[in-house]
Order: sequence, then structure tokens, then C-alpha cells
Amino acid sequence: MHTTSLMMTSSLIIIFTLLTYPLLTTLTPNPKSTAWALTQVKTAVKLSFFVSLLPLFLFLNEGAEMVITNWSWMNTMTFDINISLKFDHYSVIFTPVALYVTWSILEFAAWYMHADPYMNRFFKYLLVFLIAMIILVTANNMFQIFIGWEGVGIMSFLLIGWWYGRADANTAALQAVLYNRVGDIGLIFAMAWMATNLNSWEMQQMFAASNNFDLTFPLLGLIIAATGKSAQFGLHPWLPAAMEGPTPVSALLHSSTMVVAGIFLLIRMSPLMENNQTALTTCLCLGALTTLFTATCALTQNDIKKIVAFSTSSQLGLMMVTIGLNQPQLAFLHICTHAFFKAMLFLCSGSIIHSLNDEQDIRKMGGMHHLTPFTSSCLSIGSLALTGTPFLAGFFSKDAIIEALNTSHLNAWALTLTLLATSFTAVYSLRVVFFVSMGHPRFNPLSPINENNPAVINPIKRLAWGSIIAGLLITSNITPLKTPVMSMPLLLKMAALVVTVLGLIVALELAMLTNKQYKPTPQLMAHRFSNMLGFFPTIIHRFTPKLNLTLGQTIASQMVDQTWLEKTGPKAVTSLNIPLITTTSNTQQGMIKTYLTLFLLTLVLATLLFLH
Amino acid sequence: MTPVHFAFSSAFMLGLTGLAFHRTHLLSALLCLEGMMLSLFLALSLWALQLDSTSFSASPMLLLAFSACEASAGLALLVATARTHGSDHLQTLNLLQC
Repeated sequence: MHTTSLMMTSSLIIIFTLLTYPLLTTLTPNPKSTAWALTQVKTAVKLSFFVSLLPLFLFLNEGAEMVITNWSWMNTMTFDINISLKFDHYSVIFTPVALYVTWSILEFAAWYMHADPYMNRFFKYLLVFLIAMIILVTANNMFQIFIGWEGVGIMSFLLIGWWYGRADANTAALQAVLYNRVGDIGLIFAMAWMATNLNSWEMQQMFAASNNFDLTFPLLGLIIAATGKSAQFGLHPWLPAAMEGPTPVSALLHSSTMVVAGIFLLIRMSPLMENNQTALTTCLCLGALTTLFTATCALTQNDIKKIVAFSTSSQLGLMMVTIGLNQPQLAFLHICTHAFFKAMLFLCSGSIIHSLNDEQDIRKMGGMHHLTPFTSSCLSIGSLALTGTPFLAGFFSKDAIIEALNTSHLNAWALTLTLLATSFTAVYSLRVVFFVSMGHPRFNPLSPINENNPAVINPIKRLAWGSIIAGLLITSNITPLKTPVMSMPLLLKMAALVVTVLGLIVALELAMLTNKQYKPTPQLMAHRFSNMLGFFPTIIHRFTPKLNLTLGQTIASQMVDQTWLEKTGPKAVTSLNIPLITTTSNTQQGMIKTYLTLFLLTLVLATLLFLH
Repeated sequence: MTPVHFAFSSAFMLGLTGLAFHRTHLLSALLCLEGMMLSLFLALSLWALQLDSTSFSASPMLLLAFSACEASAGLALLVATARTHGSDHLQTLNLLQC
């Protein structure tokens, strides 16, 4: 057999085996030792990462992509469902990135969760999540995507509600599941449409057979699915609420891997979306709205994890905008680079939180640059990469997206919103750095500040290297599928940088205002709107269920009881007949015998007359 | 008139007379009503047999079912009367008490 294909297929199988082996060992009744999590799980992920580099290098060297169909699962006369894995250039790049980030996060989690009695279970959940994510990413048919999709959704629920004694954590986990379920309606609708109209769930057949169809409905279904999973506007409140879970969960699921599943689905389906202007415009406007709205909400949050969560949501909106521009490869590039610096931002936040004795409010941090220099430096590196500082990781993807935005034929409103959101990114990043690292400490003196543990330093260091060079590495090795526009006016070329710098200057000016008071009372309305997340959760979580429940109550009591029982049913019979009865009795006055006798006599008389 | 015809016709007339001229008890009126139903049952069965119209063979059963309902309604009224007026004597029904 040809060496390349043999190596690629066997590496994929080996990755799956390495990841599933620790799970299988948990099926025995013997409890695992406390070192199981660190030795078995982390080693498995680390080995899988190195194994996954092999297909990556083969792809970079030869451009080798592959599809393997392993097992015929369910087959009818006209419809086949197989287990089919695809290692095309999207999954061959994403798998090593995801495994690298997961490896770092697992090493960090061993330190972060070391006091937790159920640490082994935590690692097991993270491993199941990782396997579901790899299934989703390497899927070649919609059924496997659905399996991976639901798998990551359920693990997200279990992991967000890890500290289930806390009521807020339970509500957040429930929110995640419900919002994801609403998105799943779109996915199932799209799958049903594909099964009935294109007669297959295999991607190759779907792309080949879809030329003559109007694909607006299934594409809108897929966009709804992405809205739910990737927290676009309308189905977004679960992502900031998901910060109730432990920081490693936030770093893995809600920044790098799970939330990009929706965008990844749209990237996979991009051949279907290319020709459908409705779907593209929907993606564009939805993404622009998301990115601006969540960036606005991030401006006034006080919890460090919530700021990073809103930052994630804003970047997801940006990825959606890129898909709306018909540039799936740029969106994928942004997914990969974003994974590095966002996971690093979460790990730095986790390190700071633990150092300050579980304090998450940035108003009670400060001066960390002197106390945890390594962490705060990496926080700064991550923030710079996030804002798109030239030649860090975020620059290659973000600047390319903004350039494509500026040179495409699209509506100006989406462009304005996205540029505004880019400047807001700089503002809230500076806010985080200012409140956390700069100034004087605002926390209790006896905090257990210690970042000297290699289990903390090494993961953050690895991700920092990734945040710096990943963008350069990926862009210099991958051939772009669409040629970018090379020449544009200077202002358009520098637009992203100009807008970011403007945001930075505004933020610095605002930061200088923290110890001055220009007005007796501040202007509260804008702050309230942003701090309360646009009042979206407040309204939607209370108002719509209350409306539905009162509707149900009205139906049960008014329609059923009043209409069927009283107006048309038994009581109606009574209420109609009683007036008739009283009238008749009043007339007749009860002389029944007399009336019956007269009746008989008339009858006899009539009979006799008739006979005669 | 054949003897059978005479039998059920006279049964019907006697029942009707008894219903009209009931003296003391409501129960006797109800019994006469039952007699009338019985004679009608007989008449319907004879109709189906003598005129050879088999499509009407089910009608006696139908009549029986409905007469049972009617008899039970009558008995319920009897019980209601006994409850409110103390007995089923018909003089008391003239008093227009509810």
C-alpha cells in the first residue's frame, strides 16, 4: 500500500485508540489512583499530539488529504450511514492544534484542580469531550457530526455544572443545554432536508448533488445550529454564564474547541453556501451584530472570566462575518490562532484567580505585574495577540479578515459594526491589563501568590509560543484557496491597526479617569445597558416563559373549563333547560292528572272519528 | 284483526288509560308506561316478521334500549319526588314546591 496513505490512516486510528484507552481502563471496578489523571490522561493526549503531527507534516509536504470509510453502520436500500473519517486540510490542521491546547490545559488543570476529590472524574469528562470534538472535526458525514455535536454539548453541561452544589452553576449548565438544543433544531432540520432531498449524509455526495436545489432552508437551519453552538446573538447568553465552570473547562470548551464547532460546521458546508446570497448575508449581519453587542457587553464587566468569555463571543462573531464574506479558510485560520491566545488568556486568569485566593473581580486585583510577572506578561502577550498586534498570531488572521471586509462588496453597516467591535477589543483588553497588572494591589495582603509551579508555567509558556508563532507558521505553509486582494488604498490596508490604536488611546484616556471626577454623578444609562448584557437575559429568561405559562393556564382554565364544561357541555344543558321548565310549570300549575285525562279522551275521540 | 294484533293494541290502550287515570301513586303511572313499551316491542317484532322486512329486525332491540333509558329516567324522577315531597303521592305534586 502507498506509504503516505498508510501512515495517515494509521495515525488517525492510533490517535483515536490512544484517546479511548484511558477511558476503557475506567470501566473496571477498581478505583484509580490519584496520579491516574496526570499520568494516564495527560500522557495519552501528549502522545496523540505528537502522532497527529505526522499527518500534518505529510499534508504540508505532499498536500495529502484522505477519507477513510471504516464500517457500514446502517444501510437501507437507498440510504447508507457509514463510519467515515475525513482528514482534509481543515481537520489535519485543527487536530494537532486542539491536541496541543488540550495537552497544556490538562497539565494546568492538574495544578488547578489538585484539591478536588473528584479530579479523576474531571479528567475523564475532559477526555470524553476531546474525543467527541475530534469525532466532530474528522467527520465525513452529518451523522458523525451530529454525534460529536451532541457529545460536546452534553460534556459541556456536565463540566459547567461541575460544582453542582452551587445554584448558579446549575442554572448556567441548564442554560447551556437549552440554548444548544434550540440550535440543534436547525441542525436536525438541515439533516432531514439533506436526507430527503440529496439522499445522503456523506459530504461528497451532498456537495455533488446540490447543484440544482434551492438550499436556502437547510443553510438557514445550519446557521441556526451555529447560532446555538457558537453563541451568536439571540442564543448567546449561555456563554458568559458558562464561566461558572472551572477555569480549565472555560479554557478548553468555551474558548478553543466547543464554541468553534458551529463555525466549523459552516466551514465544512461552505461549498453549499458559496452560491446562496441569502445565507451569506444572514451570516454577515448576524456575525456583525454579535461581535459588536458582545464587545459592548465586555466593556463594563467586572469578572475577569466574563470579560474573556465576551471576548470569545466577539471573536466568534468575527468568524461568522468571515463566513458571510465567503472566506471559510480565513475563518478557519482565525479558529486556529484564536485557540492559542484565548486558551492562554484563560489559563493566565486561572493562575491569577488561584493566586488571589479565588478572587475573580478585577476591581479587587492590581499590581500583579510585580507579583506574578510571568503570568501578567503572558496576559499582555495574549491581549496583544487578541487585538491583532502586527506579526503575532492574531494579526495574520484578524488583519486578513478586516482587509477582506474592506475590499468586498458587502453592506456598510456590517463593516461599521465590525470595525467598531475591533476597537472595542482593544478597549476591554486594555481594561483587563490595567486593572489586573498595573497600579497598586487592591486585594488582601496575605494572598497565596505563587506562580513558581512548573505545572503552571510550562502550559502557559507553550501556549505563549503558540500565540506568537502559530499565525506565521500556518499562513506560510498553507496555500490559500482564494487569492486575497493585494492592492488597496493605504487607509483600508491600515484600517484594522488604526481602529485598534484609536481604541487603545480612548481606553488609556478612560483609565486615567479612574482617580478623577469630572461630573458629580456619572451617566448611568449606557453603563447599565452594557453591564446588564443589554438586558437580554433579564427579559428573555423571565418574560417568555412567563408568557407561555400564563397562556397555558388561560387555555386550561378558560378554554377547557369554561367553554367545554359550562358553555357547551353539561352545564349548558342545565342552564338552557331550567328557564323552559319554570315557564312550563308556571303555566301548567301541576295538574298532571287532569291534563293526561284530557289527552286520553282526545286520543280516543280522534281514533273513533278516524275509524268511522 | 288478528288475535295478536288485538292483544298488543288492547295492551297499549289499557296502558295508556292507566297512565292517564292514575290515582294515587306515581309508580303505577310508570308501570303503565312500561306496559306500553312492552306492547310496542311486540308490535315492532311482529312488523318485521309478518311483512317480511328483515331490515327492520333490529328495531325492537333499539326500542328496548331506549325504553330502558326512559325507565331509569322515570325512576330517577320518582326518587327525586320521594326525596323532596316525602312520598310519591300525586296530590302532593300539585303544591308546586320545588
